Amino acid sequence: MRKNSISVLLPVILVLVSCGVVFAGRLEPFAGVPVQVKNPQTPEKAELGKQLFFDRRLSGDGTMSCATCHMPELAFTDGQDISLSYPTTKNWRNSPTLINVAFQKYLFHDGRAKTLEEQALFPMMSAFEMNKNLDYLEEQLRQVPEYVEVFRKVFRGEITRGRVAMALAAFERTLVSVNSPLDRFLRGDRKALSDEARRGLEVFEGKGRCADCHYGVNLSDDKFHALHVPENQALLNDPRVTATMRFVAKVYHYRDYRNLKEDPGRYLITKKKQDWKAFRTPALRDISRTAPYMHNGVFAALDEVIDFFDNGGGPGNKALKPLGLTADEKKALKTFMEEALAGEEIRITYPAVP
Amino acid sequence: METYKGKVRLVIKNYPYKYRDYSHMAAEAGLAAGDQGRYWEMHDLLLKNSPRLDRDSLIRYAKELGLDTRAFTASLDTMKHAAVIERDKKLAVDMDLYNTPTFFINGRKVIGNRSYEYLKKIVDEELKNAKK
Repeated sequence: MRKNSISVLLPVILVLVSCGVVFAGRLEPFAGVPVQVKNPQTPEKAELGKQLFFDRRLSGDGTMSCATCHMPELAFTDGQDISLSYPTTKNWRNSPTLINVAFQKYLFHDGRAKTLEEQALFPMMSAFEMNKNLDYLEEQLRQVPEYVEVFRKVFRGEITRGRVAMALAAFERTLVSVNSPLDRFLRGDRKALSDEARRGLEVFEGKGRCADCHYGVNLSDDKFHALHVPENQALLNDPRVTATMRFVAKVYHYRDYRNLKEDPGRYLITKKKQDWKAFRTPALRDISRTAPYMHNGVFAALDEVIDFFDNGGGPGNKALKPLGLTADEKKALKTFMEEALAGEEIRITYPAVP
Repeated sequence: METYKGKVRLVIKNYPYKYRDYSHMAAEAGLAAGDQGRYWEMHDLLLKNSPRLDRDSLIRYAKELGLDTRAFTASLDTMKHAAVIERDKKLAVDMDLYNTPTFFINGRKVIGNRSYEYLKKIVDEELKNAKK
């Protein structure tokens, strides 16, 4: 018995030693979407979620649906540095892609939600996003016979905000990046990557240290890091952005919200010093389709992102160090991200909204 | 437009936001200035000064531009171009459009404020396609 224990432990220890100081996580091929015990996935529920996703009733003035900021044609982003916003207001952060969102342990750049079901209601309620009163939404949807019937079939019950969120989450779990060259490569097809992309993968896992944080199926550690990304100059002097930032800070009980001048990131949620200006490590699947990059969309292209990391991140950060990549290494890294991480295009048939 | 002289035609449609007090009057102000050949100048002033778009402010902008304010004010007060504005709004609803600005570049839909570089890339691609 004791002998067996040792033989199991030894390979684990060897793996840890071989990693040395640098912890590079392992990349994994797509193998399926995580199962949700509390919200079992059914095709009918996902279809209902799709209808709701495109339904402008979910916004206060009827001009916005989820798809406004997560357009299928733009890899479920809106292609803007800063996300589109409710009319007359302005958002303060970039609209993240929904591709592979099912894998994320935290949602939003600051990770304030832990499930898609929890996440879905935030933008609806947000004054600068969809600005919808959820009590009103429930009554409004209950006046749509088609919805009443489908909710009864799918949930065996009436329309509630919780079930709206569950349906939306079910739809979002269908938005997965599959069969990318990286998936094929990791499953053993050595020809799935071009020579340059393979060199890029070596940089990704080695000198570039990308895999320190970008690993697993979704190429993310699901953690928060303060990289001190430059401020987006377009936001600094816009009173609408300041209003949005201070509003969010007030909601999260940030004491000095009226003097806040920069995005505190994860700190707003945890109030821990180390989370000041920390943001969630983004997933990298289909990354070439989801520009602009970073929580504030400050980098328009992957080259800028690579340069940022190569230079050791923003001034004063303690998370990164300069990498000293050569021009060839940077080029290979970009090729890897563009080619290897691009999954099959997700084709959406637009639903008929009742 | 200067970069693409002779290659690109710009058509603008009005889509005043339904919950803004002065949005319809501001659309009228643009068209009324257009009657005097100064649509774009007024358009820029409206964007610059939004949301200060009440009647007195609009007349002040007309003065700034040296317009005939009597004719301009008469347009505002009678909503002279109401039929055009309503026609444009109906077109937007028929096309299932609800966000401003929305661009169509040779049929390619682009929603939201975009940078010059973003739009230029699409225009260049479309011009290239048109040559084929």
